[in-house]
Amino acid sequence: MTNVLWLQGGACSGNTMSFLNAEEPTVCDLIADFGINLLWHPSLGLELGNNLQTLLRDCISGTIPLDILVFEGSVVNAPNGTGEWNRFADRAMKDWLADLAKVAKFIVAVGDCATWGGIPAMSPNPSESEGLQFLKRQEGGFLGKDFVSQAGLPVINIPGCPAHPDWITQILVAIATGRIADIAFDELNRPQTFFNTYTQTGCTRNVHFAYKASTAEFGQRKGCLFYDLGCRGPMTHSSCNRILWNRVSSKTRAGMPCLGCTEPEFPFFDLKPGTVFKTQTVMGVPKELPPGVNKKDYALLTMVAKDAAPPWAEEDFFTV
Amino acid sequence: MTIQSLDISPVGRVEGDLDVRVDIEHGRVVNAWTHAELFRGFEVILRGKDPQAGLIVTPRICGICGGSHLTCASWALDTAWETEVPRNAILARNLGQIVETIQSIPRYFYGLFAIDLTNRKYRNSRFYEEAVKRFAAFTGKSYELGITISAKPVEIYALLGGQWPHSSYMVPGGVMCAPTLTDITRAWAILEYFRTNWLEPVWLGCSLERYEQIQTYDDFRDWLDEDRNHRDSDLGFYWRMGLDIGLDRYGAGVGKYVTWGYLAHEDKYQKPTIEGRNAAMIMKSGVYDSFADTHVLMDQSFTRENTTHSWYDEGTADIHPSDRTTKPTAINTKDFDNAYSWSSAVLHKDFGRLETGPLARQLVAGGKHGESWQHYDGFILDVFKEMGGASIHVRQLARVHELVKLYRQAEHCLREFKLNDPWYIKPTEKDGRGWGATEAARGSLSHWVEVEGGKIKNYQVIAPGTWNIGPRDGEGIRGPIEEALIGTPIYDSSDPVEVGHVARSFDSCLVCTVHAHDAKTGEELARFRTA
Ligand code: SF4
Ligand code: SF4
Repeated sequence: MTNVLWLQGGACSGNTMSFLNAEEPTVCDLIADFGINLLWHPSLGLELGNNLQTLLRDCISGTIPLDILVFEGSVVNAPNGTGEWNRFADRAMKDWLADLAKVAKFIVAVGDCATWGGIPAMSPNPSESEGLQFLKRQEGGFLGKDFVSQAGLPVINIPGCPAHPDWITQILVAIATGRIADIAFDELNRPQTFFNTYTQTGCTRNVHFAYKASTAEFGQRKGCLFYDLGCRGPMTHSSCNRILWNRVSSKTRAGMPCLGCTEPEFPFFDLKPGTVFKTQTVMGVPKELPPGVNKKDYALLTMVAKDAAPPWAEEDFFTV
Repeated sequence: MTIQSLDISPVGRVEGDLDVRVDIEHGRVVNAWTHAELFRGFEVILRGKDPQAGLIVTPRICGICGGSHLTCASWALDTAWETEVPRNAILARNLGQIVETIQSIPRYFYGLFAIDLTNRKYRNSRFYEEAVKRFAAFTGKSYELGITISAKPVEIYALLGGQWPHSSYMVPGGVMCAPTLTDITRAWAILEYFRTNWLEPVWLGCSLERYEQIQTYDDFRDWLDEDRNHRDSDLGFYWRMGLDIGLDRYGAGVGKYVTWGYLAHEDKYQKPTIEGRNAAMIMKSGVYDSFADTHVLMDQSFTRENTTHSWYDEGTADIHPSDRTTKPTAINTKDFDNAYSWSSAVLHKDFGRLETGPLARQLVAGGKHGESWQHYDGFILDVFKEMGGASIHVRQLARVHELVKLYRQAEHCLREFKLNDPWYIKPTEKDGRGWGATEAARGSLSHWVEVEGGKIKNYQVIAPGTWNIGPRDGEGIRGPIEEALIGTPIYDSSDPVEVGHVARSFDSCLVCTVHAHDAKTGEELARFRTA
C-alpha cells in the first residue's frame, strides 16, 4: 500500500478534474490495482472537520506513514508571509504544508501553480503565491532550493495548466511500484519522459510549419499557428501531441495556439496588451525561434521553404 | 438546553475549502455561518492586461466550470467589441458548455454527494446495504462507473478545444476550431456511448424518450411504480432512499431563485448586445419568488454586492458589481459579528438574497414568462410545490433532471453544424464595456469587463459560489447556504454528515469566489510581493 495525501492550496481544482479524466489506469484502477491508498483528497476524501484534522496530525506524527504528498495549487503567503489568506483545516495551509513536507517520502507538485506559482503568481501576485520549489524559473520556492523529501528527491514537478492525467498517474504508479529510480529529470525537476520533446512533436500542422504556411486567423483547419497566432509549440517542452488530451486531441490539432503552459514563464509576457494570441515579431521575423535556430538560418530557411512549398501547403487539406 | 457551536473546517467534497460554523440546540442547527477561506485575487491580476487575457485567465478561476468562464469571457468581449458571431460558433460554444455540465453531473453526484449515503448513520435504513454496494468511494459499482464515464462527455470538448479542462477555444467573434467530419462523427459516438453505457441503463433504467414523458410529480411517481428497472436505477434508488432517510425534510434555503438563462440561440444572438441577451437564450433567465409564486426576467443591472461581512474595506452599501472598489482587509480574522468570509453577499435590488443553481434553473423553467419559443419545463416546479418547497432532495432531483435535456441540446448542436460555413469572424478591437453571462453546472455566472486604452480597466466576476456561499448582507440576512442549514438535524456532532448534505446539495464551488481590488489597492499589494 502506498499512502497518498492530496492537498490543494491556491488552486482551481483543474488538476483534480484532469486527474479524474484518467483512463488506463483510471483513478479507481489506481486504488484497486496499483496499491494506491488515497488517504484524503479535497474532492474525494471522506473525512470532514476535526476528523480530517486528526488524520493530518497522524501523518505529521508518523502514526500514518505518508508515502506521497501531492500538492495542487500555489503556496499562498499573503498577507505578509503569514499565509492566512489560504486557511485550511483551521490553519494557514502553508503551515500544514511545512509540517507534512518534513515527513513525506515523496512530494509531487501537480500543475503550474504548485510547480512555478502559476496564474496566481502572475504580476502583481496579490496572494504572494509561489510554487513548492520554484517561483517561475527561479529556484527556491516555498521549500527552498536544497529541499529533498525523505526519499532523497527534490519535489517532482509535473507542470501544465492543467497537468495531463497520464503524466500524473504514471508518476504515482512509478513511485508505488518502485520504478521511480528509472526516471530521469530535467533541470526543472520535470520527468523527462514527458517533457523532453516539444509540443510540436506530433502536431498535425507540422507540414504547414515546415513550408511556412500560416493560419492567419482562427477557425481554420489549414496552416500553422506559429507565424501569426503566437503558438509556442516549437519552444515548449510537452508531450501534448504524443499523449493526446482526453485521448482525442490537442490544442494545436483543434486550432488553438499552444500557450506554453508547461514552462515556468506561462502565461507569457504576463498577458500584456498586444501579446495574447499574437506572434511577437521584429521586422516580420518571430522574436522567439525554436531552440537552436538563429535568425540568419531562419531567414534562409524561410526563403527556401516558401520557394519549395507545394500548392497544397496553403490549402485546407483536412477538408470536409 | 445550551447551544453548542460546531466549527467544521473543512466541510470537504465541495470544490474548494468550505468552512462552516453551526450553532446547535436540541439537536438542530439554529444558526450558521459559511466561510470562504482562499483569496487569489484574479480580478486584480487581470487589471491592465490584454483585453483577451480573460480568455486565458478566467477558465483558471475554476477548473470545474472553466468552459462556463470561457463562455462568459467571450460573450463579454463580444458585447464590448460589437462583434458578429457565426452560427457555427454559437453552436460550438454551447456544445462545449453542455458537455462540461453533462460531465459534472455524474462526477458531482457520485464523487461528491452520494458517498454520504454510505455513512454509518444510515445503517438502519433498508436501503443501506445496497447504497454501500453502489456508492462506496472508489469501489462502489455505480461510483466507479459514474466517475469513469464522466470523463467521456468532455472528450467532445477536447475535439473542439483540444483539451478539457482549460482550453481557450472560444474567442470574441467565434471559436478557434473548424471541426471535420471525423470530429463530428466521433462526438456523436461519444454521446451515444454515454447514453447506452450509463445514462439509460444505469441512471434512468429507461429510454430517454420514456423519461421525457415525465411532466409532473405524479408522472414521476407513476414512472417509479411502473417498472422494476425504474425503481432500481440509480435515480430511482436514490429517490427512494432519500425519502427513507429524510433528505426531503431539511435544507430549504431562501425560497427565491435566480438564473441568467443560458445557451445562446444560434440564429438570434449573432450580433450580441447586453440588452438583447434575455430574448436570445434557449433556456430563459428569471427570478422565481416562491412566496408570491411569481416569475420575472433577470437583468444584470439588478445585481448588487455587499461586503459588510466580508474581508474587504469597502463600506456597507449595496453596489453594482462593476462599481466595486474592492479592497481586501490585510488581517482576515474570523469575526462572526463582522467579517468572516472572502465571499461577498450578492443580492437582487428588489428580491434580496437568491439561490442559484439547477434548482433555480428548473423553477424558472416552469415560468410562463420570457419568449414563446424559449424552453419551458414545469416538472421540478410541480415537485417543489407538491413537496412543500425546497430541500436537499428536491435540489438533487433538479440537478440530475437536466441531464436528458442537455443531452438533447448536445444532439441539436451536432445536427446543426454546417461544416463548410465560417466558425470565426475577425472582430475589430475597441474600447467599451461588456457583459457575459451563462449558467455553469452549479449556477449563475457572469463577467463584467471594461476595456479602456486597449487594456482591461476593470474585470469583475460573480460566480455561483458567490451567490450561494455568501455571508450575511448589510441587513444581517443570511446567505442561501447559511439559511438552508437552519433546522438541519445533527445526529452525531463528531461526524456532522447532515451539514455536508446541505452544503453539497448546492454543489458549491468555492474556488470561484474570487474578488478584486481597485488599482490603488493593487499597488499596495505589490509591496508584499515575494521575490
Ligand atoms: S501549430 Fe504550433 S505546434 Fe503545431 S506545427 Fe505549428 S507551431 Fe508547431
Ligand atoms: S499544448 Fe501547450 S498550452 Fe496546451 S497543454 Fe500542451 S503545453 Fe500546455
